[in-house]
Amino acid sequence: MNIPVDAVERPELRRPVALHRRRSKIRERWRRAKSALLLGLTGLATLVGLIPLVWILGDVLIRGASVLNLSFLTDTFKPTSLGGGGIAHALVGTGILVGLASVFAVPLGILTAFYVAQRPNTWLGLAVRFGTDVLSGLPSIVVGLFVYTLLVKGRGYSALAGGVALAILMLPVIVRTTEEMLKLVPKSLREASLALGASEWKTAFQVWLPAALTGIVTGLMLAVARVAGETAPLLFTALGSNTLSTDLGKPIASLPLTMFKYTVDPSQVRNAQAWAIGFIIVTLVLLLNIGARLIAAWRSKMMSS
Amino acid sequence: MNTCTVARRLRHVPTSALGRRLEHGDVLFRAVIALAALSLLGLMVGVGLMLWLNSQPTRAAAGWSFLTSTVWNPVDEQFGAVPFIAGTLTTSLVALLLAFPLGLLIAIFLAELCPARLRHVLGFMVELLAAIPSVVYGAWGIFVLIPRVVTPLGHWLMQTLGTPGRFPYLPIFEGPFFGASNLAAGLVLAVMILPTIAAISRDVLLAVPRSQREAALAIGATRWEAIWQVVLPYGLSGILGAAILGLGRALGETMAVTMVVGNVAQLSASLLRPGYTMASVIANEWGESRTILYSSALIEIGLLLFVMSLLLNATARLLVWRVARKTPEQRA
Amino acid sequence: MRTRSVLLLALLAVVVLVTACAPKTQVVKETVVVEKVVKETVVVAGTPQVKEVVVTPTPKPMDAPGSIKLNASGATFPQPLYEDWAFAFSQRDPSVVINYAGGGSGQGIKDIKAGTVDFAGSDALLKDADYQEKPNLQLIPTVAGAVVLAYNIKGVDATITLDADTVVKIYQGKIENWKDPAIAKLNPEIKFPDLPINVVHRSDGSGTTNIFTLYLSAVSEEWKNGPGAGTAVEWPVDKLGRGQGGKGNPGVAAAVQNTNGAIGYVELAYAKSNNIRYAKMINAAGNVVEASIPSTMAAIKDAKFDDRLGAIIVNSKQPDAWPIAGFTYLIIQKDYQDCKKAEKIVNFITWALTDPGAADRAAKLLYAPLPKEVLPRVMEAVNKVTCNGKPVVSK
Repeated sequence: MNIPVDAVERPELRRPVALHRRRSKIRERWRRAKSALLLGLTGLATLVGLIPLVWILGDVLIRGASVLNLSFLTDTFKPTSLGGGGIAHALVGTGILVGLASVFAVPLGILTAFYVAQRPNTWLGLAVRFGTDVLSGLPSIVVGLFVYTLLVKGRGYSALAGGVALAILMLPVIVRTTEEMLKLVPKSLREASLALGASEWKTAFQVWLPAALTGIVTGLMLAVARVAGETAPLLFTALGSNTLSTDLGKPIASLPLTMFKYTVDPSQVRNAQAWAIGFIIVTLVLLLNIGARLIAAWRSKMMSS
Repeated sequence: MNTCTVARRLRHVPTSALGRRLEHGDVLFRAVIALAALSLLGLMVGVGLMLWLNSQPTRAAAGWSFLTSTVWNPVDEQFGAVPFIAGTLTTSLVALLLAFPLGLLIAIFLAELCPARLRHVLGFMVELLAAIPSVVYGAWGIFVLIPRVVTPLGHWLMQTLGTPGRFPYLPIFEGPFFGASNLAAGLVLAVMILPTIAAISRDVLLAVPRSQREAALAIGATRWEAIWQVVLPYGLSGILGAAILGLGRALGETMAVTMVVGNVAQLSASLLRPGYTMASVIANEWGESRTILYSSALIEIGLLLFVMSLLLNATARLLVWRVARKTPEQRA
Repeated sequence: MRTRSVLLLALLAVVVLVTACAPKTQVVKETVVVEKVVKETVVVAGTPQVKEVVVTPTPKPMDAPGSIKLNASGATFPQPLYEDWAFAFSQRDPSVVINYAGGGSGQGIKDIKAGTVDFAGSDALLKDADYQEKPNLQLIPTVAGAVVLAYNIKGVDATITLDADTVVKIYQGKIENWKDPAIAKLNPEIKFPDLPINVVHRSDGSGTTNIFTLYLSAVSEEWKNGPGAGTAVEWPVDKLGRGQGGKGNPGVAAAVQNTNGAIGYVELAYAKSNNIRYAKMINAAGNVVEASIPSTMAAIKDAKFDDRLGAIIVNSKQPDAWPIAGFTYLIIQKDYQDCKKAEKIVNFITWALTDPGAADRAAKLLYAPLPKEVLPRVMEAVNKVTCNGKPVVSK
């Protein structure tokens, strides 16, 4: 603090004031230096935080791309004594599982989101919002246990059970993003439709939903990105398979399950194939995430223009 | 019957009040969406109920000793969950200790210092870390992280800080060390929860009203002091919520941890020894839990996991909501 | 507008329902006519003459390719062989697709008891309690294999030799370092580094563990009274922090491969085909033997099969026997409800046990075939399989 003292009138205070001023200047410089240092530290932290990302993506790319070729994607499993084969069965399996999960999760999720967006302050609306947050944090292996006792015990491992498990994991994402997108649609639009005599459900499905559609699609993309890489819930529902199958009542392969099996395997061939599968999963997830972002950015540009 | 009714009937317009209500389909619509919402809640309750009911045999047989016994012996049907609870807590806490400071610093950078366009790109890149699947982290952990980072680090820690009889001696770094360990799992988990902590903290910091910062700068604080002494305390509950959410995510992580933690159900003070987490034991041993007692013991571990993640998530969400709600009301 | 969306929804619902409820096996009645040329002895004008007659057998309906899916899980011990056999059998009979999921003997036994798979693989024998719970189960021995001690010591490229006592002590945790004099005594020419031993075992219920611990119990009273034998035991090394668990034979092999100083027990095929070094052993007769088909066959020479077709062959006294050998089994049901599946399972096992091509594939992967003396008893059990009470194989 700089004390305004008339150093001329009270000479006995001249030296302490000057000292104080010098000390203040030093303290000031130290504080500024500390600030610059620590702020620089945050920048460094960001760089450090991004190192694992670059490292993992780089490793996946380099180790995985070397095994990728067309026959890898179109062949199905062969024992290592015959070369190792490809992952067509896993690609088809993931497609079926994700498709099943979407069929279960999307209608339920959109309907729930309608409820929450229309009546956010009822006890049910609050409970559902809280519930989706909690459900999204549930360990995926617990979901697998739940679906096992429900659908697998006594019946056998099946693609259907796997689809249900993934659907439970997709639900919170879909409900949350759909609800937010629905809330973004201006109320006047819905009110106009209602004023013209359309019933509530007609307004919902033919006015409200289409207005929020791009946002809902991005939500679906993010949800798919999440479950495409899930392994744990499939361990005791879909089980995994070495054969190409489209039978919903039988075990089915999936990309992450196959990657897990091939990683924990002593064979070099299998390890290399595991990295290739990782490359495919990561590419898929990245494309979905980037795509969702681009669509959101395009949409906000459209809305603001 | 009058002409009005006849006319209505001819044009397929309902004649009764109930008919009018049903015609629009609104009652049906409202019922359907309410049912959907209820089923979501029912799902959550159902998972908890299933876990509770199916763990009954072990709860009856072992009672509270399940939570206090360190013996996990499926052959003799003795089940104690302590090694797994300890393993889960150890790996998650190590992950949190590493990821929280780093995540907070990243959040500060993104919220305070970054120019707006760069913020989107960098924030997105940090969030990409969260999108990478667990099994890819596990493979990277086995083939890259353990040989190149964990093994040299572990050996160094063991030699400098973990040799008994030589100062300084910290039992948490005592060997023998072979790569797959609690430390390896903690490191991989740290990378996995970093984006969660960074992203949510960044959102919390962005939600702090500008006036707070400006007031601090106006009375002569440096930028760092403004952030550290004003903005952070304001958003503290939210940042704490971010940390708890990260912890919750670390608790439930299965695949990446199973692949690098060593899978040995022994309590140990050392981070350099192999461990076992609750999620890993379910993943490894569920496939062959033959007896009812064994299956229900694993389900009881699942129940513990469910309850822990439920509590953590609920607390975290409440904390984050509190900051969001505080902002518009309390304007200095 | 409304009708269109309703129609689309209905179509979607129908598609989902149809794919979900589609019949599991589709039998397409295709007929295949194969002409055979048969030499027949025909009496023509009093003199027997050999004529070639073209015989057109009655056309047999063929199943559509891939229409019969068999699911199995279980032991990883024979998994490389079963996967090979499944592939080869599908090429012979394209209507069958066999999916062997692995997961360990423990999982196989659980799954076949729960009915979630069509057959299971296990190296561990079923217990009396298992038969009491599910009397419908039948053990079928298929091949014998060798369990070897694979190791990874940076700096040691030669093959080391171990004996029963050292192996027991390593797994008890009493021998802690590769430099231990007990190991050096058995390997005088090899220079071991000062490296702690990381002892790898199975983290799941395993028939391979069963075979290995039966061996340890046979050679050490202390081990027998301590951890004992079984598909899952308490490993003393875990308490000392020098143990590591791997899931399945592949998991143990991978753990050994990735850890310097590790030793672990795996089936021979896993070590050999992945170039992981494995130790020679000194057997009960005092000779140094290497794991191979001849030494495995020596071990099964004295095999005694009980009335449930199980046999234990560890620590054989034969001079050339590999000490840690074991049979592996398929667990099938005595009676199936799906006749097509039962037929294909019987065909598969019959082919696997009797076809020379199948035996070749097993030999290539270093699995030894069943002794000739027990084969008739095994085939009798296979041929007794019924479907809904009716025998599958018509005699």
